[in-house]
Amino acid sequence: MSAKDYYGGAPQQQYYPPQGPPPGQGGYYPGPQQPQQAYGAQPYGGQPGYGQPYQPQPPPQTVYVLPAGALKNVAALSGARSTSLNAARSLPRVRFASSSASSSSAFESFTNSRATLASATLLTVGSIAWYANLYGTLPFIGEVHANSPAEEGLHPAQYPWSHAGWLDSFDHASIRRGYQVYREVCAACHSLDRIAWRNLVGVSHTVDEVKAMAEEVEYEDGPNDQGEMFTRPGKLSDYLPPPYPNEEAARASNQGALPPDLSLIVKARHGGADYIFSLLTGYRDPPAGFEIREGMNYNPYFPGNAISMARVLFDGLVEYDDGTPATTSQMAKDVVTFLNWAAEPEHDERKKAGLKAVILFSALTAISLYVKRHKWTVIKTRKIQYNPPSSH
Amino acid sequence: MSALASTFYNALVKRNSVFVPVIFTGAFAFSVGFDIGITKLWDARNQGKQWKDIRAKYIEEE
Amino acid sequence: MATVHLSKKAVTIPTTVRTLSSGVPVAPLVNLAARGGHDAHGHGHGASGPRSDTPARWAGGVSRTSSGFVSKTFQYSPVTGIHQKSLMHTSAVVRDAPQVPDFSKYEAKDPSTNRGLAYLMIGSLGLLSASAAKSTVTEFLATMSASADVLAMAKVELELSSIPEGKNVIIKWRGKPVFIRHRTQSEIEEARSTDWKSLRDPESDEARTKKPEWLVMLGVCTHLGCVPIGEAGDYGGWFCPCHGSHYDISGRIRKGPAPLNLEVPQYDINEVDNKMVIG
Repeated sequence: MSAKDYYGGAPQQQYYPPQGPPPGQGGYYPGPQQPQQAYGAQPYGGQPGYGQPYQPQPPPQTVYVLPAGALKNVAALSGARSTSLNAARSLPRVRFASSSASSSSAFESFTNSRATLASATLLTVGSIAWYANLYGTLPFIGEVHANSPAEEGLHPAQYPWSHAGWLDSFDHASIRRGYQVYREVCAACHSLDRIAWRNLVGVSHTVDEVKAMAEEVEYEDGPNDQGEMFTRPGKLSDYLPPPYPNEEAARASNQGALPPDLSLIVKARHGGADYIFSLLTGYRDPPAGFEIREGMNYNPYFPGNAISMARVLFDGLVEYDDGTPATTSQMAKDVVTFLNWAAEPEHDERKKAGLKAVILFSALTAISLYVKRHKWTVIKTRKIQYNPPSSH
Repeated sequence: MSALASTFYNALVKRNSVFVPVIFTGAFAFSVGFDIGITKLWDARNQGKQWKDIRAKYIEEE
Repeated sequence: MATVHLSKKAVTIPTTVRTLSSGVPVAPLVNLAARGGHDAHGHGHGASGPRSDTPARWAGGVSRTSSGFVSKTFQYSPVTGIHQKSLMHTSAVVRDAPQVPDFSKYEAKDPSTNRGLAYLMIGSLGLLSASAAKSTVTEFLATMSASADVLAMAKVELELSSIPEGKNVIIKWRGKPVFIRHRTQSEIEEARSTDWKSLRDPESDEARTKKPEWLVMLGVCTHLGCVPIGEAGDYGGWFCPCHGSHYDISGRIRKGPAPLNLEVPQYDINEVDNKMVIG
């Protein structure tokens, strides 16, 4: 509460005799230096012999470079001045008149309106998005590619994997079939170093099945009491046997090309499972004019389109023990599911834990917001009241 | 509603020596129940895909 | 446009006469907070305490310097013309009654339900937080336990039919030798008939074996960790060559410096498959 109340709410003018020029004489805007000087004198306006607070400036046409807001004020002020003798009274209205524009500021109000801003933004974003959709790149931003699309390989289609959704587990029957395809087809050239026999237990095979499979493989172990290495049948803790003892042997058997380890292949390739499925099923004759070297094969999905690996999956190549017809695409789908599991053995648990976390943390957030509001009600509903001292 | 709220307050909240143990035992019960519930939901959604659904086929073979 | 101009100017003015731009008269060098003395001839009205309507410091002021008085004035509004004085008003519009928004919509209809809901929410927050904290801690502690590949190596499986009666087999388990002896009937009788209560580390043979014909022990002498030699020593069991400890056919210490019997590890005998799993 201000002193005004204390003084009985009398109009300000009581203390403030009008000092400005009579209406019609002024119409100027004080220059940049004017306010301070005028203001410094102003409180003592009643004192005799102190300066000349307001010298009307003769040329009303003086033009100053001012911000838009100031211009508006002048325009509004001149309007107010001409209409009202009691200019001081109308000042509060003038001061807050920035939204009630006169005819001269119609353009201004157009440029300042939110609708204009929103539509201009929408237009800009929309046209950029349209361009990006049409041409695949952002406008005015140059891109240089070292590779042509053919060199990068054809973009694989998106396939509806049974584990694609946020809440979808792997299809474990498919993993089991995929392991069979890997063992009978892929394992001839590709290792799977990071998967141990024990990892298959409870995922695609029973303990006894895995033990039997492991025992078929001889592992070198030792040294024994005589300090010699010996071989023994595999155990659950052994890792899947590699087809070649080392990289050199692998290259020597494959005309210089190294069959990559498949443990993390789904994570290691762009496109992941889609890419590998497309690659396995994408072998075809090279298009006319495409030179392909001896020993290489044409595959549009492979970067560079010439791949050392020949097509390996043909209909009926393996015989599934669950009776699923072993078509090329079925085998490709199963082996890719198996390799996806090999790359992400934690997949099922991860999605389950994610579901739990999302539910739990959303509930915690919602309740936290409620509790915050609850705790703040005291502050938010507080009233502050001022009782001025009584002036008899 | 009001009676229910009063009962809840008087039984569980009024004494902190009751309220805090209730929260902790409730947390334990919740974590177990939540786990079971989510597993049920997960199993219902992934019916027939998980190992435990196909396991029986390969156990009987022996 | 809300700018603050600060102008300082040395002027000479009486100490008492000054008017703020807001129209409030001030006397800057007069201590308005001082209580007036008791006036016996007063009329009994007027505040005798400090004035509460002293202009705030931020509203301006005058200070005395060597060159006279310096007046400081803050201006909070743009100067837009000749009527600037009115822009500096600090007074609020006078209203007859304070206008308070209507909060009745937000008021609790039923305090009991309201209280119950609030405590239910707070209790649920604590419950969920405790549950999440518990999971976090257990998951963190689980990372400290042995990993799956280590656990897979920690078990050794053994075909029992490959060990003929009366023979010792030494296998490696977790980097340590494990003695497995297929005991003969006479050895079992010898081990069981011993008066074990008088031994240094009293332990019955029944307690040391799961099946009497199979004796499984860690092959580490309990004295200083040597590996004892089988079928040697005074008691027909094991003999540690380092410091001469003698163990009997049940692996119990009988003579020498070792304080304890040979340790028996965790093991299971699967009679169906005739297999032993150590670990």
